[in-house]
Amino acid sequence: MEELLSKLAECVEFGKINIASPYPPQMKGQEGADEITRKALDQGVHPQDILSKGLMPGMERIGIKFRENKVFVPQVLMSAKAMSTAMIHLKPHFLSGAAKQKGTFIIGTVQGDLHDIGKNLVSMMVEGNGYNVVDLGTDVASDKFIAAIKEHPGAFVGLSALLTTTMASMEKITKDIKAALPDTVVTIGGAPVNNDFCQKIGADCYSPDPQGIVEFLNSKVA
Amino acid sequence: MMIHETSYLFEDLTLDLDHLSSMLGYPGGLLPEPFNFYLEQAVSDAPSLCNIKGAWILKENMEFSGDRTLISIDGIEFGIGKTVTHELRNSSAAVFFICTAGEKISRRSQELLMSENPVLGYVFDLLGSMIVESATDELQAEIKKMAQSQGMNITNRYSPGYCKWNVADQHKLFSFFPTECCGIRLTDSALMHPIKSVSGIIGVGEQVQYRDYMCALCNQVDCILRNHHNRLK
Repeated sequence: MEELLSKLAECVEFGKINIASPYPPQMKGQEGADEITRKALDQGVHPQDILSKGLMPGMERIGIKFRENKVFVPQVLMSAKAMSTAMIHLKPHFLSGAAKQKGTFIIGTVQGDLHDIGKNLVSMMVEGNGYNVVDLGTDVASDKFIAAIKEHPGAFVGLSALLTTTMASMEKITKDIKAALPDTVVTIGGAPVNNDFCQKIGADCYSPDPQGIVEFLNSKVA
Repeated sequence: MMIHETSYLFEDLTLDLDHLSSMLGYPGGLLPEPFNFYLEQAVSDAPSLCNIKGAWILKENMEFSGDRTLISIDGIEFGIGKTVTHELRNSSAAVFFICTAGEKISRRSQELLMSENPVLGYVFDLLGSMIVESATDELQAEIKKMAQSQGMNITNRYSPGYCKWNVADQHKLFSFFPTECCGIRLTDSALMHPIKSVSGIIGVGEQVQYRDYMCALCNQVDCILRNHHNRLK
């Protein structure tokens, strides 16, 4: 079992989706996250172990490499694809309650802003680290965030912005969420924002990279 | 003042695909499968996805403010910040420009990013950025030719949102152009549509100098121009 989970973590870390995928070159012709996850389930490995001891360590490793500029966006996207392919096999077990995710993370690019690559990377990384992710898309207003939080009580929130002009929108949304649902934990990210801005608007966490958000969320659910 | 409008074909542009490979994580152009196929596909599809247009207008009587962070043109004040003011300091006139790669390439990128193949979407996104920057190089070359024909030189180009120039000034910049000029629209938050569009200013004058970008002065660490050798030097 340990060997399978270790191999699965390696597939996610290096973005090996399935046996047909030529990527990464050093794993060409080998089984990928798709086959190994099925094999693990067939051999009776608990879905929770597949998630927490196979998939999540792989995503954590690629997240750290991305933070350290050792890999680029495409490599992270390949890892996320390997992860999501494996998750297709695990989904029925989450629905049945046999395996549990750590919590729900609601994410969106704030009203007035349409950039979504950074938001998507955070979304994939958080999902790959064991959270249910509700992606509200781009140009999202306060009321949509608040409705989603009400639908998923206790959910964490992630706000993304790329333009300095939409920082005001991020501030408004944070304040609206805190006014309507004061216990909601709000994280922020994006090129123009920083920790000072985070504190100024009353958000709970700023991270310049997706892994920082994952680590913050993990500290909250620990 | 007259607005000069122009359009380009994808084939007119000089694209540095090695640079694109570097941005995908593979310097030297040695892309592994499937990235090499993705790049081939994007380059092959791009001509039918592009509607590349640019426009510029020359504005004379540029005035600098005392605190070296503002310029004023036609009574409109631009808070361009110290860095851009410094670069434009000897200019007697300014050219404002806009340029776009068109809507379709952005849409294709968005669709793919949300699909089963986000990496291909990302390749289209990078290619779209590269297309509009290359088209703006062409526009800049045209502006340089105009300046030189009048015995003047030009500075490099600078855009709202960079070098601490407030992106909200886009609205003032776009006020010099007709509504939806080149098909570019501006949102209330100063975001250009199509996304793959560029706007900015170029200084013109007898005493101005062209200087490469000094990326260390700019706060946009993920800018496509960072470390990009400017062919117009």
